[in-house]
Amino acid sequence: MSHERIVRTTCKSCHGGCGVLVTVSGGAITGIEGNPDSFTKGTMCAKGLATIQEVYNPNRLRYPLRRKGDRGEGKWEQISWEEALNTIIRNMKGAVAQFGPNSVCVGQGTGRGYNIHTMRLASSIGTGNLMGPGHVCYISRLMTYAITVGGRLIPDFHGWGGEFPKTIIAWARQAETNNPENEMGVWFLDALEKAKHFIIVDPRATRLAPRANLWLQVRPGTDAALALGMMNVIINEGLYDKEFVHHWTFGFDRLRDRVQEYPPRRVAEITWVPEEKIIKAARMIATETPVAFMIGEPLEASNNCTQNNRAVICLMAITGNIERPGGMVNWMVTEAGDLEEFGREIRVPKENRNGMAGGDQYRLGVMSRIAHPDTIFKQLREDDPGRVRVMHLQGTNPILSYANSRAVFSGLLKVDFLSVADLYMSPTARYADIVLPVAHWLETDGIWDEHARFYFSAMVKAVEPPGEARSDYWIYNELGRRIAPEYWFDSVEKMLDYQLRKANITWEEFKKKGVLARTGKDQIYYKYKTDYWREGGGFRTPTGKVELYNTTLEKFGYDPLPSYVEPNESPYSTPELYRDYPLILSTGLRVPYFFHTQYRQVPWLRERQPHPLVQIHPDTAKRLGIEKGDWVWIETPRGRIKQRAWLFAGIDPRVVIVQHSWWYPEKPDGALWESNANILTTSDLPCDPATGATTFRALLCRIYRVEEELKEQCKF
Amino acid sequence: MSKRAIFFDKDRCIGCYACVIACKLRHGAPPHPSAPPEGNPTGINPINVFQYGPVIQEDRVIQFFQPISCMHCADAPCINVCPTHALYTDPQTGAVLVNQKRCIGCKFCLWACPYGALHLDGKGEIVKCDMCADRLKEGKRTACEATCVARAIFVGAPEEISQIQARKAMAKIKKENPE
Repeated sequence: MSHERIVRTTCKSCHGGCGVLVTVSGGAITGIEGNPDSFTKGTMCAKGLATIQEVYNPNRLRYPLRRKGDRGEGKWEQISWEEALNTIIRNMKGAVAQFGPNSVCVGQGTGRGYNIHTMRLASSIGTGNLMGPGHVCYISRLMTYAITVGGRLIPDFHGWGGEFPKTIIAWARQAETNNPENEMGVWFLDALEKAKHFIIVDPRATRLAPRANLWLQVRPGTDAALALGMMNVIINEGLYDKEFVHHWTFGFDRLRDRVQEYPPRRVAEITWVPEEKIIKAARMIATETPVAFMIGEPLEASNNCTQNNRAVICLMAITGNIERPGGMVNWMVTEAGDLEEFGREIRVPKENRNGMAGGDQYRLGVMSRIAHPDTIFKQLREDDPGRVRVMHLQGTNPILSYANSRAVFSGLLKVDFLSVADLYMSPTARYADIVLPVAHWLETDGIWDEHARFYFSAMVKAVEPPGEARSDYWIYNELGRRIAPEYWFDSVEKMLDYQLRKANITWEEFKKKGVLARTGKDQIYYKYKTDYWREGGGFRTPTGKVELYNTTLEKFGYDPLPSYVEPNESPYSTPELYRDYPLILSTGLRVPYFFHTQYRQVPWLRERQPHPLVQIHPDTAKRLGIEKGDWVWIETPRGRIKQRAWLFAGIDPRVVIVQHSWWYPEKPDGALWESNANILTTSDLPCDPATGATTFRALLCRIYRVEEELKEQCKF
Repeated sequence: MSKRAIFFDKDRCIGCYACVIACKLRHGAPPHPSAPPEGNPTGINPINVFQYGPVIQEDRVIQFFQPISCMHCADAPCINVCPTHALYTDPQTGAVLVNQKRCIGCKFCLWACPYGALHLDGKGEIVKCDMCADRLKEGKRTACEATCVARAIFVGAPEEISQIQARKAMAKIKKENPE
């Protein structure tokens, strides 16, 4: 066909950013496939390929809407963009004038390429209350890296330094299908072919478990103990990298003293991992180097978040894997510089920053400039005078995503004014005052730079959005222009030009180029031996070394050494509760066709799994009279939800794992309270003291069959 | 163009179902989600993936994912039973294809296929893998092979597949009998 054209763009169906070729014919998308000439080598996942059903989903929002009836009543009237934006701005300005900048909250969900725009908007308003799930997802890890090593470390799967990982360790992580942060599935799987050893640390047998040399089936929430136990073996057996430890680490002696509290035998009791496996894994990590550590989010979704990450980072350090080819590397960014500057460059007044929700408690949270969501909703519930009055949310579903959905819900209802931008009338959007329709990524021009890695790529508009839907970038720019014109731009194109200015390239030019990268010999390893971070060598930390003993945490009054804290709820910390709730509950079951609250309305993905599933060991199920596919109640002291039983032998009989973020777009109210795992979680128990992270992966529950209306339920 | 065959490596497949969607996107199901309500299986998958396990045996995890589509048999049972000669082997690629005009919807082929790889859709047409014959002729890889992150799908000359199998067997022997 003559009018058929191919658009080269970047997928935004999760936060990976695979290269995509889109076929457009007569103004409609007729094909989507991976771009073989991109860094992701033509591979794409189910979510990205099925996205065509998102673009043409009949339930997309098309026009800005204003609430007519009560909140949640579902009565809306169509308004113009001008009116919608001005209403939002009027409310924001009014709140700033009356209650100060921190009474305005700008929030987003998981990273989607506009993190820096959300931050820039919050900074333009001057508010410290920038809300996101970063405390339990990735930002806490970045902060821990920052205070320990001076920057984030990424597994090096590329061989540019002449070596590939000899050992790969997947610690609470399934990079093959989920959660791409800096390393894409195809890089990991190709590197796995070359690796000699593969270690999995996971409470359940993951998809790659048969290929692992060692699978450490850890009790949920005990990761720090495991890492400390491994360090105990490595240090006491003298297997650590003595040269690196001597020259480039700070506080090794004190770490050595600390790990003595974690002999393998004790760690085996804590973690349920057999002692000999801990020792074997420790020796492998210390001697079969370089080692690539892939860390997952469960380490952060824990009341021991900071120390979980600190323990694993210290393990990387003492085994000499930092900045080593095939180990853990801090990528050098392209000539465009650190694009994240765009978010950070506007200073928020110090008092606003420190005054963010949770700022008085969670010092690492303040460092990250992201406020503590649980505190934001708590202040709302309690009518705290410093509470948020106006909230603008973009691409997020707090009711489903944050701990204790009922508490979040009642807090959200107390916001004076709520605006939500989304593709669909999401469960959260239903309770908004203004709803803004967002363009899909195939309808958007933008720069895809999710994780400050060695490349970034262009997201190029393939088709026009439906109705009056507009891109996230456009919405941010329009709001920004109205509230602080000095920081924003005449058009999205001008904004993209500005983001690219250091590379001396315009958006139009970049769009044609598609990607900017720094690869191969342009990446330098062992940067601490050069002047890259510090004149005369060293790391960007207060001591110039990898801080095993951490001076920043010491300054803030937290434990400066990695340590283990038992989960808030567990057979050992709450034996009383354990009697009534005799199973360990994790909400970490991820599948390759959903991404958090997304894609339940995409038929091709939903047909893979129409209902939420809970993984339960066949023996446990048998004991409880539960059969495959049965609807079961999962109950904690907070409430109960319904999911279907997936009898799964690759899990400890004492542990069950549920799926999170479930809602039913086809049901009138999204059936928010039916299967949503965060009804089970809580923000009332102690959080991680430094980041405010809540526990999502180690709670207690009980399970029993749903007896009522069983016939009706099972029909699908 | 030489004859091709398909090889699915169950030891590499991670069960991500990307091939299933890539295939749907090319053929087999309408791309626009107009009629089917959310959550209702729209159902036809020319390629599908089945999970086995996990089974835990002492310290071993036995679990695999098996992608299955039409295997484009050299001596295809579906072709043999088709009373109207609607099914045939493409002389160029070796793909087993269907001539919808000749099909009378008798479903003999559905029963005959040992892989369950043929489907009858609502319009009474046979839906099956066509080995992306059009893509192969353009020098592209099949939709499923191109998108596979685990490199578990290989479409190529039968001799190449024999070599892959041999290499796999060798690696297994080496792994089980270290020097």
